[in-house]
Amino acid sequence: MYGGGNTFEAMKATALVDEDPIKLAEFEARIERGEKIEPSDWMPQLYRKQLIRMIEQHAHSEIIGALPEGTWITRAPGFKRKLALMAKVQDEVGHAQLLYGAAETLGKSREDMIQDLINGKSKYSNIFNYPAFTWADSCFISWLVDAGAIVNQVANSKGSYGPYCRALERICAEESFHLKYGHHCVIHLATGTKKQREMMQAAVNRWWAPMMHFFGPSDKISVHSEILMKWKVKMASNDECRQQFLDMYVPKIWELGLTIPDDKLMKNEATGQWEYTEPDWDEFKRVINGDGPCNKERLAVRRKAEERGRWVREALLAPKAKYVTPLA
Amino acid sequence: MLESLDPRVNRLGLPDSFGSPFGSSSLDQFETYEAFVMTKPGKPFEHVGIVHAPNEEMAWLFSKEQYTRRGMIYCALCVIKTENVKVSAVTDNDLDVYTTIEGEYSGQEKDSFEVFHLIKRGKQHKHSGSVMAADFEDAMRSANQSIERPKTVYNVWIAKTEDIFSSDEEDADIWDTLKEKKYRDAIDYKAADKIKAFKEEQA
Amino acid sequence: MNVEALKDLLYKMADDQLVLGHRNSEWTGFGPLLEEDIAFSSMAQDKVGQSWQLYKILNELGENDPDTVAFMRNADQFHNCQFVELPNGEYDFSLIRHFLFDTAELLRFQFLSESSFEPLALLAKKIKGETKYHSMHANIWVKQLGSATEESVSRLQTSLNEALPYALGIFEESKFEDDLITSGIFKGEAVLKEAWMGEITKILNKSSLSLPDLTSIEPITGGRNGIHSEHLQPMLDEMSEVFKVDPTAEW
Repeated sequence: MYGGGNTFEAMKATALVDEDPIKLAEFEARIERGEKIEPSDWMPQLYRKQLIRMIEQHAHSEIIGALPEGTWITRAPGFKRKLALMAKVQDEVGHAQLLYGAAETLGKSREDMIQDLINGKSKYSNIFNYPAFTWADSCFISWLVDAGAIVNQVANSKGSYGPYCRALERICAEESFHLKYGHHCVIHLATGTKKQREMMQAAVNRWWAPMMHFFGPSDKISVHSEILMKWKVKMASNDECRQQFLDMYVPKIWELGLTIPDDKLMKNEATGQWEYTEPDWDEFKRVINGDGPCNKERLAVRRKAEERGRWVREALLAPKAKYVTPLA
Repeated sequence: MLESLDPRVNRLGLPDSFGSPFGSSSLDQFETYEAFVMTKPGKPFEHVGIVHAPNEEMAWLFSKEQYTRRGMIYCALCVIKTENVKVSAVTDNDLDVYTTIEGEYSGQEKDSFEVFHLIKRGKQHKHSGSVMAADFEDAMRSANQSIERPKTVYNVWIAKTEDIFSSDEEDADIWDTLKEKKYRDAIDYKAADKIKAFKEEQA
Repeated sequence: MNVEALKDLLYKMADDQLVLGHRNSEWTGFGPLLEEDIAFSSMAQDKVGQSWQLYKILNELGENDPDTVAFMRNADQFHNCQFVELPNGEYDFSLIRHFLFDTAELLRFQFLSESSFEPLALLAKKIKGETKYHSMHANIWVKQLGSATEESVSRLQTSLNEALPYALGIFEESKFEDDLITSGIFKGEAVLKEAWMGEITKILNKSSLSLPDLTSIEPITGGRNGIHSEHLQPMLDEMSEVFKVDPTAEW
């Protein structure tokens, strides 16, 4: 699961004017025809760099995303929930592995990516820096954070890079149960006992602000975002994704008798757009830069896991093994 | 010690902070293997992705988890070390990659090769046949003559048959798991009745 | 058929699978390789799923429903061997336990596929693939890490030595042993133990690990009669924390 809010900020790459104009034209024509780009094709540096960054962030979000829900993996109530939560969190780890594989086709090794994650050099979806206080929080994540991620992933699966599309196709297929499972859990809590309802409402209250942050701030119009849209790297704006999410899920939340902690939230029937209180983007920036409630814990867990597992990886490593970039 | 809401994390005993940045002098990255699955007996193997593993047996094991853990719909799995796969040029715009090769098939039957075709960019490579030939380039020429191509082929992967590590046929039952695994299917989560009853109660 | 004997067998098997499945699930997110997070989760799901089926059979024999049985009993009402309730420790211990226990699990279910008690024979046949795969997974890893670096061999050997007294506790006999054997329900723990020793020796011989003389090891028993280590009750309290908020509610 993964949110928008990709930060497509300016990065050092060979300026487009320095790229081979004939190759660039062929590349753009291929995308224009709706054909996918495959790893051995020529591609502009900016395309490669932005994709590595995007797929890597997505992969990190899956692996870190396994932690907030994992908080409840040993405490899920009853057989059915216990098994489903295990399978769901397992899928998130599997998705990380798939996505690392896709990013690797662009030339960055998985170990390099994991090292950058642990050292705080690369980002992951901000929402996973918030804690899952109760079982109901894990239900909110399973349903609504996954729902948000699916909005984003479905858009990205129509992008131009072959290996990323293939990974997303697999991910979306596996995720079909996550959303239903999460909804099922929330329905049971919201229509259950008084205690269950209160638990669920409290979780909605806690998670609404991070959920609105999830899609990222409004995209700034920049040279990059225009060209990334043209190259089908970025498929939808952050605001478009947020609107789509609100449209699909706010009615489903309301029909369960749950309230959303935003007095201004309403659909403007004239414009067809949802109106809401502007999220606190200062908090968003603060958390993304490391100062959220769980940033430290999330990275510490990853680091501990890597350190504890080092002897295993050392034992497996054949002395003459060499790293090879995957084919597809 | 770092306090967590996750009892499992508390048992890890995480320090409040780590002294030095994380890193290792040498990368502990394993070799790369390409994984292929078969969904039904008689269907071709198709590429599903990659795994990193120290040897082919473990590559197979990792692929089993990564790509076929949902069971049932698979019956065989094989892996090929990436460096043992030879890759042709990639074409586009309806240009068949076989039209770009030169030379004639030698007719030599020195080695057996497996041939995988990509018939749509963005999709998976699928096994499309086996050929006997002198070397990889010769195998490509042999495939050009002997393997039927109903559709344009944009890219070809070729591997020696002996470099493929596959599951034993007698082990196909490892994908045959309990039927009671519906908790992994969306269809098992119907709750419309519950919502309806709730709404009626509210009204 | 002695129903009491049958229930005793079903309970100890169901409790073993549930408790070890739960332990396996604790690895998700923390494993030495992403691949092993996934593998331990699959095995956790298989085991917890199998325990669920076993509790369902018990339910048909008049016991409480599976959720109540699994989430509401206290440690002294559990019949799992102490081996499965021990904390995961480092990966070496988890792997060795997985190897020793799952070898026994595979053989046990193989025996049970010929059980005179139809529902159990049927279940054993249905999970043949799962248990075969668990054992395959364990064997590949033990062979690999058991003959790699000095550290990996020494870690596995230490864990093996620590685990064996508990592993022998898997085969703690019940007072119904003769009943089960004569009625053709199960071949009995003694036969299972013999077969298990043969299997683990075969695999360990392919590694640099050595199997201590099992006859000189005193098995740690009691689990089958509700006597447990200090680890089981806290594990059960954690597992049932949410369920017990309201055991009558639908979650």
